Amino acid sequence: MSPVEIGLLSIVAIVVLIYLGVYIPIALGVVSFVAIWIMRDNIDLSFALLKIAIGDSAMEYTFATIPLFTFMGLIVSKAGLGADIYSVMNQGFRRITGGIGMATVGANAVFAAVTGSSIASASVFSKMSVPEMLRHRYNPRFAVGVVAGSSVLGMIIPPSAMLIIYSFVAEQSVGEMFLAGVVPGILLAVAYVVAIWLMGRFTPAFVGGEIVEEATLMPWPEIAAKTLPILALIVVVLGGIYTGWTTPVEAGAAGSLLGIVIAALRGRINARSLWETVLETGHITAAILFLITAASMYARMLGIAGLPNELQAFLSAGQFDFFWVMVILVVLMLFLGTILDTASIILIVVPLFLPLIESMGLSLVWFGIVAVVAAEIGLLTPPLGLSCFVIKATLDDDRISLKDVFLGALPFAGVMLIVLILLIRFPALSLAILN
Amino acid sequence: MLKPVHKIAGGVAIAANAVGTFVVIALIAVVNYDIVARSVFNKPFLGAVEVVQFSMVLIVFLQLPDVVRVGRLTRSDGFLGLMTRRRPPVGRALSRAIDALSCVFMVIVAIAIWPEFVEMWESRDFFGVPGVFTAPWWPVKLVIFLSACLCAIHFALHVITGPRVTAPDEQDTLA
Amino acid sequence: QETIKAVVIDGYPARALWVKEFTNFFIPEVDKRLAETGNYKMEWQEAYGGTIVKPKGVLEGVKLGLGDIGIVTTIFHNSKLPSQALSAVTPFVAPDARAVAKAIDEIAKEYPAMQAEFDKQNQVYLATGVVLDTYQLFSKQPINSLKDVEGGKVAGAGMNLRYLEGIDGAAGVRGGLTDFYNMLQTGLVDHAMLWPEAAKTFKIAEVAPYMLRADLGAVNSKTVTVNKQYWNKLPDEVKGVLQEVAVLYRDHVAGLAMDRAEASRQAYVDGGGTIVEMDPAEREAWAMAMPNIAAEWAANLDAAGQPGTEMLNAYMAKLRAAGFTPVRDWAADAATN
Ligand code: NA
Ligand code: NA
Repeated sequence: MSPVEIGLLSIVAIVVLIYLGVYIPIALGVVSFVAIWIMRDNIDLSFALLKIAIGDSAMEYTFATIPLFTFMGLIVSKAGLGADIYSVMNQGFRRITGGIGMATVGANAVFAAVTGSSIASASVFSKMSVPEMLRHRYNPRFAVGVVAGSSVLGMIIPPSAMLIIYSFVAEQSVGEMFLAGVVPGILLAVAYVVAIWLMGRFTPAFVGGEIVEEATLMPWPEIAAKTLPILALIVVVLGGIYTGWTTPVEAGAAGSLLGIVIAALRGRINARSLWETVLETGHITAAILFLITAASMYARMLGIAGLPNELQAFLSAGQFDFFWVMVILVVLMLFLGTILDTASIILIVVPLFLPLIESMGLSLVWFGIVAVVAAEIGLLTPPLGLSCFVIKATLDDDRISLKDVFLGALPFAGVMLIVLILLIRFPALSLAILN
Repeated sequence: MLKPVHKIAGGVAIAANAVGTFVVIALIAVVNYDIVARSVFNKPFLGAVEVVQFSMVLIVFLQLPDVVRVGRLTRSDGFLGLMTRRRPPVGRALSRAIDALSCVFMVIVAIAIWPEFVEMWESRDFFGVPGVFTAPWWPVKLVIFLSACLCAIHFALHVITGPRVTAPDEQDTLA
Repeated sequence: QETIKAVVIDGYPARALWVKEFTNFFIPEVDKRLAETGNYKMEWQEAYGGTIVKPKGVLEGVKLGLGDIGIVTTIFHNSKLPSQALSAVTPFVAPDARAVAKAIDEIAKEYPAMQAEFDKQNQVYLATGVVLDTYQLFSKQPINSLKDVEGGKVAGAGMNLRYLEGIDGAAGVRGGLTDFYNMLQTGLVDHAMLWPEAAKTFKIAEVAPYMLRADLGAVNSKTVTVNKQYWNKLPDEVKGVLQEVAVLYRDHVAGLAMDRAEASRQAYVDGGGTIVEMDPAEREAWAMAMPNIAAEWAANLDAAGQPGTEMLNAYMAKLRAAGFTPVRDWAADAATN
């Protein structure tokens, strides 16, 4: 067997193992270990791969955004700020079917401006808005679907860990990449709102939800009391990043501290519940980073197999035109998105396409936005969809299965695909803001 | 015979978990300290990056055994759940086989990391920039090694006791 | 004819100067020379940009055999490769990539320290790469002298943070090259230390339109190495060709870095930047105000049984012989300390 055949076979093995119910990081790790062993007939190399992947994957500075923004989300919901803001938002959108879903999208778009990670968005909003939507009798699948779908805004609207990774791979200016992400992010948020409106109109059973009665309307002072704390938090986190007092990691730490202060002032937290919150943060962080570590081991195994080199040879030999290059890109991204994490996809796929894109005279900034959006669809697709996993893990609710989360997210993945096609077809959507 | 093993392994995992939890709090504290030191006193804490990286390793690997213990590791077990309901013996056997495979993998991780720890311990290797901030490597490797061992023990316990009946507050990886 | 497989690794993307030239210069040159006798043919597999290792993982990747040949970024490994910091601890000597590359490469071959350090990492030293002509100071505000830096925050990475120890109240802020644009734009820092080509790549002129030409000096940051077991199995002819081409690659990359530096300074000005010449007296004041980090470096190596002081003396002598006049004689200082 050639290394490439082993590489392809390993993909099949992983899909089978994941469907059988093997823990996903274990499946990725075991298959990578065995594949290298067979390929090079040298078990020492398998151990070498394991050492390198485990040694440096957890030690990434930017990964600290995961526990910090996770904790901030958890403490904010413990403080009751989530319930408050959603009661206000539901009132604002009370006359529309699916209104609180739209409010979730809008709130996520705002939150995206303070977090660089979709995972953080997913964990914050599954704690904040899913219970609220369930309380207002929304369909559970719709509730988790909205949160999953809008969580990807976190990585498209700047700041974004993925745009930073891309600008590193493609040697583009981080500032330009961030600017280019603004319009596509807003476009996606608007597309979600429109899609929710259409669902409410044509498939009301999928949406569910109840109309908030006039009698429950809050007076303005109460609305202010319920929104000001979270606004303060957003100002600290957003303001910190945009005025330059803090990096995203630091903004997460500052937001966490402020979250504790707000919760304490409201008397919503004691030593015990603070401990539980931190403990849960640790559990979520460990599960996610162990998964990312295993995914990175798998990506490196493919690299050793030479799969990226084969693909590059195939692409440059085929003399494909723009349309087919984009079709191949999107199909490849969607496929890899089913089993790999976003960062690994970008690290594997982008370098293969860069020479091709450059030789066609296309903008590498535009390509970065396309690549990131395409890779992010994978956050919503089974069997490995990190956003969906995070929502399931954070919710901790028997009534909602992982299958429900994936099914709920599916329409939103569809909307992303449509937006992706628009972004490919109209590069000005990404580039106009730069000129 | 198994009971004390269960108790001890469980206790160690919970203790590691508690230490990991303190690290999360320390992470929040250190980063906030750096923000204030830098912006108010113009004296940035130059070890902030190393401390953050270090604490990420501690958080992940100190918490992992407890994640394994309570069965929170990410999986997609729709098929497994189906088998357990329709053909309980097959489901149980599959579940045990998966935990056995996971145990073997964690043992392999431990075997891979041990020589790294020994090497770092002997060479006193550090990361960071001399004169700016440095931290030793060996605690990182030691934590990963001990974590892998503890995870292996918990997977082994799952194999022996069979699929756990998960309590509602611990059950969140089910499909 | 025997075919020899070689896996080349680097964590940086294929577009990076030294990686691109490995593909476009090193590999074809080796192939060409081997084709002359026709005894051996290389089968290259190139894996860059994190496909197998990240930038910090190349050293370990070559050590463990995940790559046969690697381009190690040495500034990440102060602990395992202490002697590689030689040019970083001697600022204000030579703003010339070619001269520094040649001097370091000769030191590596004349003294056992550098090769011994790589040998401990299970790899064989092949060549030094210098990819930056000199660190300069880029600023958000007009800058004429060190006074304008006092009390400010300066982005840097690695050893160059220690250059700030001589400036009153200046605080170093650590960051990666890709973060500098944002750090400057947001005001997290007022200044940043980087080299003109990086300034061009990351469009630093947009956020820091003033460059103080401090000419802090070129720094060696790359070393091409070969896995030891792989090396021992190579036929002598191939070993010889790799060693010859490594020296050519060293000079080729350093030359390109210098050409690019010139073009990059022009691009910086065209992009709206202003270059301010630094007063020689100010430069000297800065150099003299720094702690003698070269002496510290030499003493540490001496204590470890390596010829640190001798290497420092030889390095300064080589650059003097190449026509450079150090603003501060780090070696003379070291001797009197
Ligand atoms: Na964002
Ligand atoms: Na997916």
